[in-house]
Amino acid sequence: MIQRIDVHEVLQRRVSGVYADLVTRPTGRAVREDIERTIAADAQARVTVIDFTRVGCVDYSCADEIVAKLLRDTRVILLLRGINDGHREAIEPVVRSAGLAVVVEGPDGALDVLGSPDAAAHLLDQLVAQQLAARTPGGGFFLTAA
Amino acid sequence: MTRLVEVPTSFDDRSFDQFAGAFAQAADGERLLFDAHAAEWASPYGLVGLLAAGQAAARRGGDKPLLTAPTNGDVLGYWARAGFFREASELFEIHGKIPRTKPLEESDVLLDVTPVRAAEDVHQVVSRIQERASAILAVKLGLDPKATMGFAMALSEACQNIVEHAGTGGWVAVQSYHWRRRLGRQVVVIAVADAGVGFRHSLEPTQSKRFGDRWGDGAALEAALIQGTSRFRDPGRGQGLAGIRRYLSRWDGKISIRSGTARIAIVPKWDDDVPMREGLPPFPGAQVLIIIPEQGSATP
Repeated sequence: MIQRIDVHEVLQRRVSGVYADLVTRPTGRAVREDIERTIAADAQARVTVIDFTRVGCVDYSCADEIVAKLLRDTRVILLLRGINDGHREAIEPVVRSAGLAVVVEGPDGALDVLGSPDAAAHLLDQLVAQQLAARTPGGGFFLTAA
Repeated sequence: MTRLVEVPTSFDDRSFDQFAGAFAQAADGERLLFDAHAAEWASPYGLVGLLAAGQAAARRGGDKPLLTAPTNGDVLGYWARAGFFREASELFEIHGKIPRTKPLEESDVLLDVTPVRAAEDVHQVVSRIQERASAILAVKLGLDPKATMGFAMALSEACQNIVEHAGTGGWVAVQSYHWRRRLGRQVVVIAVADAGVGFRHSLEPTQSKRFGDRWGDGAALEAALIQGTSRFRDPGRGQGLAGIRRYLSRWDGKISIRSGTARIAIVPKWDDDVPMREGLPPFPGAQVLIIIPEQGSATP
């Protein structure tokens, strides 16, 4: 049900075995197309975890080319993992300006949503309704799907 | 006949228009002599702008333009350390003795003059700047260490404008220095220049009708920097300059872009520049200047 994709591994395989940064449109496009193929190959997956753990810098162009375009076009729910403050700085405004939202999993497993407030509220409702996430007593969210 | 184009003794974004004015007087096919013998100082903007002029002169045809190197040994040494002559040797017939350069480890040149022709070059620039810039941004400028990644993002987007829009290659240089004359503080400066098609040409197919009679270099710069428009119809485009603006607003930085006959700037309180200047001497392509000042020190 949950599919995991290591973005650094995709970057190294598709673009460069040297660089760890997600920068430029062509790089973003190549990485996104690879991710799209992986998602398409698993019809059972409802959630795709995109792991940024070993990724260095993410620029706005790549944030749009990868995250915003995947959010627009994929059937699965995307969950970003391994996001640091720098990644967040690129991804949040891009997703928000597109009127979209994306789920981010923190190091403690808590879920956060980046993006437009309306889309974020809808996304959290959707996660709970599909029993992919549950509310904690403190009002937070965590992933329940395996 | 050879036409003389004098390189200002202090060559930066302020004196660039004087340089562009001399450059604009040259006719197609006329050989140009860029005279930098009296140069006393050049900012990264001056150096990459001079390379863009050499690129544009080569495109006009005729003999390779001439360049007289600075006679001042310190100036010559700095231009060499900044990587200027490595790039200039392909564009100009250089007159003057060029010194051998030392490695950059102890220098405030964070990124020597580096060609940007393709996405691969942007990867290399971003990778190199992260290795060198974090200590200087944190220690000399007092930026949060986390700001290094934002700096790399801004640099990446500035370079990508060349790859995506110029239709030709360009150059980038990054330096940290104490800006005694204008600010009295340490700054980090990113300079990016090309002699490509420029913002007006790039945006004309999608934006000129919207602006009507107002359409020109100034309107094109306004559309790109203020309104975040792009020549691509893809709704996610135009994020780069908007992202640079957000980063600079957080760190009290400045951006100015000169293209064609206009220059637009986001002007912080510490600077006395004007937001828009039109009717400048024409110069091809685009020249971008980003300045991030030291944080938390007294205003000049």
